[in-house]
Amino acid sequence: MIAQPTQEREPAREPQSGAVVQARALTKRYGTTVTALDELTVSVWAGITGLVGANGAGKSTLIKILLGLLEPTSGNAQVLGRDCVRDGFAIRMLTGYMPEHDCLPPDVSATELVTHFGRMSGLPLTAARERAADSLRHVGLYEERYRQIGTYSTGMKQRVKLAQALVGDPRLLLLDEPTNGLDPAGRTAMLDLIARIGSQFGISIVVASHLLGEIEQICDHLVAIDGGRLLRADTISSVTKATAVLLVEVEEGTEQLQASLAARGLGPALYQRGLLVRLTSDEVYDAVRDSVAALGLPLRRMEQRRHRIEELFRADATVDAIPGPGPSAGPGQTTGAVGVR
Amino acid sequence: MSADLTSASQPATPPAASEGGGVIHDIGYRRYDAERHGRPGIVAALTWHSFRAAFGLGRGAKAKIFPVLLFVLMCLPAIVDTVGLAIHPGSQPVVSYDAYIPSLRTVAMLIFVALEAPNLVSADLRTHTLPLYFARPIQRIDYPLAKLIAFVLACLVMIEVPLLLLYIGNVTQQHGPSQVLEQTLQLGPGLLYGGAWALLLASIGLLLASATGKRVFAICAIGIPLFFSYILAHVLSQVGEQAFGPLGPGEPSALASLAGLISPFTLLGGVLRWLQAPRGDQVQAQMIQATVVGHYGWVYGAVFVVVTAAAIGGLFARYRKVGIA
Repeated sequence: MIAQPTQEREPAREPQSGAVVQARALTKRYGTTVTALDELTVSVWAGITGLVGANGAGKSTLIKILLGLLEPTSGNAQVLGRDCVRDGFAIRMLTGYMPEHDCLPPDVSATELVTHFGRMSGLPLTAARERAADSLRHVGLYEERYRQIGTYSTGMKQRVKLAQALVGDPRLLLLDEPTNGLDPAGRTAMLDLIARIGSQFGISIVVASHLLGEIEQICDHLVAIDGGRLLRADTISSVTKATAVLLVEVEEGTEQLQASLAARGLGPALYQRGLLVRLTSDEVYDAVRDSVAALGLPLRRMEQRRHRIEELFRADATVDAIPGPGPSAGPGQTTGAVGVR
Repeated sequence: MSADLTSASQPATPPAASEGGGVIHDIGYRRYDAERHGRPGIVAALTWHSFRAAFGLGRGAKAKIFPVLLFVLMCLPAIVDTVGLAIHPGSQPVVSYDAYIPSLRTVAMLIFVALEAPNLVSADLRTHTLPLYFARPIQRIDYPLAKLIAFVLACLVMIEVPLLLLYIGNVTQQHGPSQVLEQTLQLGPGLLYGGAWALLLASIGLLLASATGKRVFAICAIGIPLFFSYILAHVLSQVGEQAFGPLGPGEPSALASLAGLISPFTLLGGVLRWLQAPRGDQVQAQMIQATVVGHYGWVYGAVFVVVTAAAIGGLFARYRKVGIA
């Protein structure tokens, strides 16, 4: 695993240890009505970074701007220290891109396709052939790579898409919804593959997804955007830590317990059949235990839930309704923009 | 950076010791640090790839049937002419370097362009492969440029190789350097005129094919206008001649003279007539070429330039705007 760069690290002298992507006040409007990106300022560091947001949040637009395929309306962005508008050519030399949608011709074999796109990345023919074979092996396609792509399953097609992004030996991979259309086993396999490329191949990865639970599994960092604006950019551990809560369920007397916990200043919230309490410190466990014991209620369950990142986005997220003990509690705590810098 | 990368690219696990072979070694990820082609090299690679695609190379056997058939068809007159000369030495060749056999060339090239132009551009539109290209170190214009060069070259092969066969056949029947020189001097303009065919048909074909991703629609979008404009040009030319009659000897009516502008094939015929006029080859031209130009030969030249430029410009504009969803 590459050492996780911390937020405090200075922007860098070397691309691999510093910010691989820096966007400043990046705005993209289509016409006058549609705003895909709205003053987005964010930095992405080496390692695997999850770019999460609902459909239409601006993930794909951001990736296309980074590749120099779209011009921003205003603001600027740098990839590997190069300006996206002026230097898109150099960026595309160093970057592999896996599009969201199906993009493979059915009537050629995976070997032919990946070799061809190796050549399109500037590799001479022999090198392109070698690297195509390597890339396809890395993504787990062996004998089937000589078959026409039209005969492949969705999972195999996704692997070919990843292989063609990898064939040019990029420093940065931009993956747009790589688990699209895969079954649970396929998702796990694809995520393992991405994690392996990120950790063992020394390639930085930006992986866009609307399925936030997945991102959590493989990413070092998280960039959450919504409506073209930055929601949050942080290391994955601090994101999940900030949202840790305790679920308490009793057989009966939920209201009594709620009142008791409220009196202790824990501000519980009803959630399904239980109560959610924000886990600010270990004393919370003691307080809950004492309350339950004092009331003599039959405790069914007491469980620490690591709040999924999904809940950052849920407008009606129950956890947001918990008035936490601190003054900073409230909806703002989870949905407020916390830019890295 | 390099130190970091080298360590990261080491094998994840050391290669397993192989006893009797057959062990798959995990060689880990290998970096590519050797030379890379720049933009010209990539465009050349894409051009070669597309050129092969025009003849169905790199695809299944089915894709090769029509291009090979049409190519053989285009070569037949040259072969027949050569054989005829061999059997009856001294007879006049019936196939000219300029127009070759116009009807055959028109039909064969119409089918070739309609069938093969979609292979070069429509397929990438249909399968949404363009984002993969535009994410490579090329510029937007490089893609249509490579396709255009490739398809012009493919059309040149279809048109010029038969001419070269004809030339070789004729030269082998000639005696003396003066006759060989005469043949060579005739071949030159023929090759140039064939180049005009390739340029015009390739640019129009690609522009029409790039309008749609569906192969069948693209074939129709090329074939139907090319075919019906050709018919219409002939009909109008006939109407012009019969309704208005010739204005004088060698001076057809304006309608008859300008009708040929409608179709690329008659446009090319008109250009040939215009270019041949100073050489006084009227008799031969009359025999081989239906297009009547009257005093409007220069219009054919101008329209040829404008239409070719417009088609190429339209093709490039198409790929500046094309979506990369």
